[in-house]
Amino acid sequence: MNSVPKILLVDDNPADANLTCEVLATSEHPAQVSTVQDGEQAMMFLHRVGQFTEASRPDLIILDLNLPGKDGRTVLAEVKADPKLNELPVVIFTTSHSPRDIARCYELGANSYVSKPGNLGQFFSAVRSIENFWFHFASLPN
Amino acid sequence: MTASPNNGNNNQRMHVLLIEDAPSDAEIEVAELRRGGFDVTADVVDTGDQVRAHLGKNSYDVILADYSLPNFRCMDTLDILREKNQTIPMILVTGALNSETAVECVKQGAVDYVLKDNLGRLVQCVRRALEDTRLRKERTRAQEQLALKVDELARSNCDLEQFAYVASHDLQEPLRMVAAYTQLLSERYRGKLDSAADRYIAYAVEGATRMQALLEDLLAFSRIGRNGVTPAPTDVNTAVEEVLRNLAFTLKEHSVTIICNPLPTILADRFQLVQLFQNLIGNAIKFRGKATPSIAISADKLGEEWVFSIVDNGIGIAAEHKEFIFKIFQRLHTRAEYPGNGVGLAICKKIVEQNGGRIWVDSELGRGSNFRFTFPAASADRASKKEEYELSPQNLVSR
Repeated sequence: MNSVPKILLVDDNPADANLTCEVLATSEHPAQVSTVQDGEQAMMFLHRVGQFTEASRPDLIILDLNLPGKDGRTVLAEVKADPKLNELPVVIFTTSHSPRDIARCYELGANSYVSKPGNLGQFFSAVRSIENFWFHFASLPN
Repeated sequence: MTASPNNGNNNQRMHVLLIEDAPSDAEIEVAELRRGGFDVTADVVDTGDQVRAHLGKNSYDVILADYSLPNFRCMDTLDILREKNQTIPMILVTGALNSETAVECVKQGAVDYVLKDNLGRLVQCVRRALEDTRLRKERTRAQEQLALKVDELARSNCDLEQFAYVASHDLQEPLRMVAAYTQLLSERYRGKLDSAADRYIAYAVEGATRMQALLEDLLAFSRIGRNGVTPAPTDVNTAVEEVLRNLAFTLKEHSVTIICNPLPTILADRFQLVQLFQNLIGNAIKFRGKATPSIAISADKLGEEWVFSIVDNGIGIAAEHKEFIFKIFQRLHTRAEYPGNGVGLAICKKIVEQNGGRIWVDSELGRGSNFRFTFPAASADRASKKEEYELSPQNLVSR
C-alpha cells in the first residue's frame, strides 16, 4: 500500500484503545489511527458529520462490541447495510468470547472476529496480526 | 394441657360433628366418648346442607356419621370434605351394616365403622383415628418442609453458580487491564527504576497473571452444565482417542505407556467426556513418579452402571487427602512443584455427578493411584463394547 493506511478504532475502554495504538504506532509503516469511544461517534465519523467533517474514510474499522449507547453490533449492522460503507472491512475486537456474539457478527457481515487476549504479549500479537493481514496481505477495495 | 371444666381431669378436648337423626343415639355416643376420657363438644346435624354449613364454620377433630339417614347419604360427607380440602377422619356409627357395605365405605374413605349395639369400640376407634390423623398431618408437614428445603437448596445452589459465573466473568475485564499494564510497565521500565521497583512490578505481574488463570478456571468450572449439555450415545473409545491426540506432545515427552482396554458406549456429552478423561490422564502424567509413567484405562459393568478406572504408577495420594483433592482450588503441592490451580478434579467431580455418577480414588502414597468413576449404563450401551479396540497410530504412544 502506497499511502498511509487509515484505521478507525472504536473502543470505549481508553486502556485498551491506548494499548492498541501503542502496538500500531510501533509498526514499520505506522497506520494513521483515529479513535472514537462509542457507536454514535463512529457513525458520525464515517458519515463525516458533526465534529468529523474533516475525517477521511478509513481503510479498516476495528470495532469493539460492548459500547455505551449505540453498541458495536448496531454499528456493524449499519455499516454493512449502507451501500456507501459496506465494502469497508470491519474487524471485531472485543473481550466477548461468546459463541452467540461470534455467530451474530459474522451473520451481520463482520470480516473477522478477534477476542482480546488477556496476556499482553498475545494482545500485541493479535493487533500486530490484524494490521499485518489487512495492510500487507489482503487486497482492499479502492 | 387444659383441664376440663366438667370433671377436672386432664381430658383430651374434642370437637365432634355428629351426623345423626336420632337425638337419643347422639346423646349415647357423646356419653360414651366422655366415659372414655374425652372432653367432648358436639354439633348434631342430619342434612347435607347442615353438614356443609357446619364444616365451613367450625373445625372438627372427628366426624361420627350414621350410615342410614332418611335425608342424607352420609358418604357424601367425604365429597364435601374433599371440596373444602379438609382432612377430618369420619367413623360410621350405625345400627346395621353388612360387611360388604362396610368394606366399601372404608374403601371410599371412612376410617372405620362401629355398630350401635357395640359402642364399647367407639372410644378405641376414635383414639386410633385421631392418632392416625395426627401422624398423617405430621408426615405431610415434614414432607412439605423437606420439599421447601430442597427448593431452597436448589435455588441457593443456582444463585451461587450464577454468582460465581458473573463474578468471574465480570472480574476478567478490569483484571485484564491490570495484567496488561503491569506487563507493559515491566517491559518498558525494567532496569530504569531501582531493583526494588523491578521486584514489585514482577510481583504485581505474577499476581495478576495468576488471578487471570484462577478466574478462567472458575469460569470453566461454573460453565459445566450451563450451556445445556446434550447427552448422546458416545463411544468412550473415540473420546479417549481424542484425549490422547490432545495430549500427544506430553505423552511423547514423558514416554508414557497407555494401555487402553475396550471401553463401552455411554450416554454422555462428548465434550464433557473428553474433558473428564483429559483431566484424569493429564493428572496421571503430571503427578508421575520416578518410573516411566504407565496408565491403564478400563471399564467394568457392575449392575446398572459402568465403573471406569484410570490406574497410574505415579506419586499416589495419602489416605487423608482422598476427599480433599476433589474440592475446587485445593492443592496438595506448591505451584513450584506442580503447576495448576486445583480445578481439574473438581471439574471431573462436577461432570460425573451431573451425569448421576460418583468419583473416588484408591491410592497409597508412593504407590500410584486408581481414579475410578461411574456412569449409568444407558440403554444405548447394550452390547456395544467393542470386541477389539485398535489403537490408531496417533494415540499409540511410545512404549
